[in-house]
Amino acid sequence: MPVDEHPNKAAFLQRVREALGRSEPLLHMPDHPTLKSALPRQEEKVRTVRARVEVSRARNIKRLAETATEASWYVHGPVAAEDAADVVAEIATGLRAKRVVRSSEDVFRRVNVDGALRRSGISATVLASGRSRDRSTLKALAFEADLGITGVTYAIAETGTCVVTPRKGVARLTSLAPPAYIALVEADQVLGSMDDYFALTRLAHQKSRGRVPTYVNFISGPSRTADIEQTLTIGVHGPGVVHMVLIA
Amino acid sequence: MAKVKSAAFKKASARAVRDEGIQHALTHVMDHFTEARAEAIATDYSDESWEAMRTRAAAIKAHTIGNLDYYLDLADRSVRRNGGHVHFADDAAAATQIVIDIAKRHGVKRAIKSKSMVSEEMGLNDALERAGIEPVETDLGEYIIQLAGETPFHIIAPAMHKTRGEVSDLFHDWLKSAPTSDIARLCSIARDALRKHFETAEMGITGANFVIAETGTVVIVTNEGNGRMTTSTPRVHVAIAGMEKLLPAIEDLPLFLRLLPRSATGQRTTSYTSFISGPRAASDEDGPEEFHLIFVDNGRLNLLKDEVLREALSCIRCGACLNHCPVYRKVGGHAYGWVYSGPIGAVVTGPMTGMKQAADLPYASTLCGACRDVCPVKIDLPKLLLHLRHRHAEGSPRDERTGTWMERLYMRRWHDAVKTRGALERSTRLGRLLQKPLVRRGKLRSLPLPLVSGWTKDRDFPALAPKPFRQIWKEGLGGDSDAG
Amino acid sequence: MALCATCLVDQFFPEVGVATVTLLRRLNVDVTFPEEQTCCGQIAFNGGYRTEAADVARHFMDVFESERHVVLPSGSCAAMIKVYYQELFRDDPEDLERAQALGEKTRELTDFIVNVLEVTDVGSPARGLVTYHDACHLLRELGISAEPRKLIEGVPGVELQEMPNSEVCCGFGGLFAVKYPHISIAILDEKLEAIRASGADTVVANDCGCLMHMRGAIERRGLGVRAVHIAELLAGE
Ligand code: SF4
Repeated sequence: MPVDEHPNKAAFLQRVREALGRSEPLLHMPDHPTLKSALPRQEEKVRTVRARVEVSRARNIKRLAETATEASWYVHGPVAAEDAADVVAEIATGLRAKRVVRSSEDVFRRVNVDGALRRSGISATVLASGRSRDRSTLKALAFEADLGITGVTYAIAETGTCVVTPRKGVARLTSLAPPAYIALVEADQVLGSMDDYFALTRLAHQKSRGRVPTYVNFISGPSRTADIEQTLTIGVHGPGVVHMVLIA
Repeated sequence: MAKVKSAAFKKASARAVRDEGIQHALTHVMDHFTEARAEAIATDYSDESWEAMRTRAAAIKAHTIGNLDYYLDLADRSVRRNGGHVHFADDAAAATQIVIDIAKRHGVKRAIKSKSMVSEEMGLNDALERAGIEPVETDLGEYIIQLAGETPFHIIAPAMHKTRGEVSDLFHDWLKSAPTSDIARLCSIARDALRKHFETAEMGITGANFVIAETGTVVIVTNEGNGRMTTSTPRVHVAIAGMEKLLPAIEDLPLFLRLLPRSATGQRTTSYTSFISGPRAASDEDGPEEFHLIFVDNGRLNLLKDEVLREALSCIRCGACLNHCPVYRKVGGHAYGWVYSGPIGAVVTGPMTGMKQAADLPYASTLCGACRDVCPVKIDLPKLLLHLRHRHAEGSPRDERTGTWMERLYMRRWHDAVKTRGALERSTRLGRLLQKPLVRRGKLRSLPLPLVSGWTKDRDFPALAPKPFRQIWKEGLGGDSDAG
Repeated sequence: MALCATCLVDQFFPEVGVATVTLLRRLNVDVTFPEEQTCCGQIAFNGGYRTEAADVARHFMDVFESERHVVLPSGSCAAMIKVYYQELFRDDPEDLERAQALGEKTRELTDFIVNVLEVTDVGSPARGLVTYHDACHLLRELGISAEPRKLIEGVPGVELQEMPNSEVCCGFGGLFAVKYPHISIAILDEKLEAIRASGADTVVANDCGCLMHMRGAIERRGLGVRAVHIAELLAGE
């Protein structure tokens, strides 16, 4: 359902145009490289990105561990998929977590987090409104939880970043509301730089005829502030303790 | 719109240089920022590559601003395609009304806000309160100054002038918390107070660090997580963006995500970067059902119209020019009298709010150039300040001119005196005669002349030398040289 | 080579002009002083009075444009000619071209000595522990910071002791120092503290604006440091 144009748009744009010394709209898209790259060009570019990511995987993972540590993540692994769940359970136990919420996404099929947690006497709740849960229950669960666990869509070695894309099965609040957070990162999700990520994003946008995820978060460490006397303090509104589990 | 008190710069700055609290905060925080920035850049980049990045960023912003009508249109279409609403507000009042209308439509009682400089321009909090909607700032620094009833002291560290003691007192008054000098404890008091609001507020208001035209994406860069909360829990999200915040496409962004945090806080990256492209999808688990983006002019057109000042619209509000400005470092943010301070504030306040009332600001600079050298988008701030001075002295329309007749008189006398060698020699001879009664050991301890007498309050002024250089040259130093 | 003494040196600090001549002659430079010179126009330009500034700047160009080299003992005035004349004559192609041509052959003193004469030991008999203040326009408009240091270090009797934040402005800023003396002085206080912290007995700079500002307070307060122009140090008088 198309949303209506704002009544002031035409006049607003006209004033901008006149301030720029033009009276008519541009006839063509202005010449700008990142905007002009058409689908075949972008596909070519992404092929290069993927190839580069492939050959530099080991290096990227190593770099990710460094940058993430510098950004105050606790980094674990790389560990084998079958051991990852135990690492998660260990972290949860160490945090004395009682109420754990997690997303519902593919990685949990490969990593049996629920099982490992159960063995440690912790039960995890899937934070998804799908079946019976309404929005306010979901919110309440998230705010009451003491640990959130999600997978990622990508991780970026350059900045120690986990890219988390809220969608069906992945609530925005899972990685945000609880005071502690664990991100599960699989080796083939690790990219070298932000450029890699945005090249992929743009291709996806072009291929889906303009659709983009409604919401994406780069998470690069714990919530922090230095607003009082420039003193760094961890854990204001988001999680103060963040763990990254690298899965080989 | 937020009150503009820039006409009081002289008085306010004089008060600030004497204010021990402000001086203490400035000394500590400013060095912290400048050192962190230098280190963060040096860790990852050579001087040359950083320079190249700035050049590229400046070019991208100049391109975007130069085709702003196109990109605004593109962004508008993209956001609407994503199911969001786009508004175009000419001024603070219009933008404010749009926010209030949305709030009313949804029966909003309380709105949570993450940091937005444009909303500061608008004086949005006051307006919301008058409309019966409680605004709650959720960025810790903004929260503190909201409780204190102040405006931001710094673009990115709004409460940097407040000591922990003052914050503790504020929290005690407003939240009934026990006094403490533990900063972590103060943070957790704020966290607890704001959590309730995150859970219950019906509307979230944010700014936008960038808006990507092609994808219709609002990008918000934060550290605390309040930006994520504000865009996750309420039913409605309203993002307010200055109309210059655009970038053409998503692949333009990484460059800016590298420049901004390093320039601002000296971080490689901030804790969070959030990308919002419209309201939640039906299948999403949570998130606002309605998304609004308001593009605001509010005086930006006056910058755009002026081919020299246009450059100021490239600003990404990193605050580096403040941190490196010898004047800001002495007078702090409030003296500038509006929302933006330091060199960028001195440039934009007049054109955006009215030239006359801000006429003191372009002169509040030594033109040392430190700001330009650190600006991540290479805005030539000294050039812009000089251009504003030019407009104040000789610009048209005439009513922009603020130079006093006395100043003009000085200028005319100076011009007469240096027009030719003969004039110079005559007038300096006269000067030597006139200064005689005032000279002590080659110095003047006071300059009894209007406009310039301030110099000698704390400094001596040199007297005209008994013999100017040109005379020494002629009387022998020049020797046989006949070139003169 | 034509010397532009600058109006400050000509009228207030002739000893700096004399030192500049002595220094250049010691380096076998044939120094001339075009006597029609007055001022580069910077003060009017910085005040926004571009009509007056342009008028004076044109006179400046008339006087100097036939010279092969123009040398000034001031980073600020050199920057005015090399950088800001282009802004001043932005809309005037003919004068802009003249300004560009003149800008190319205009050099600040230490730039001229190190980069044109290719000399770093100027044979100065000066002695002492000195610290160097980077004048803003010299540093940021002209990018000159190594040259003066090389020259100072080239003086056998002199030891260069860097002060903290030597590249931070001293708070002069021309018009600024007059319009906002309270801020100007507050900035200067930090510079004086930095000079004190260096332990040097002499602070050297390439600009009489900064020096007049620093000296004004040093003398008023009776601080035990000397503020001297680099030409004086290098001439060793
Ligand atoms: S003018 Fe440049 S340095 Fe100053 S806030 Fe804007 S982007 Fe940052």
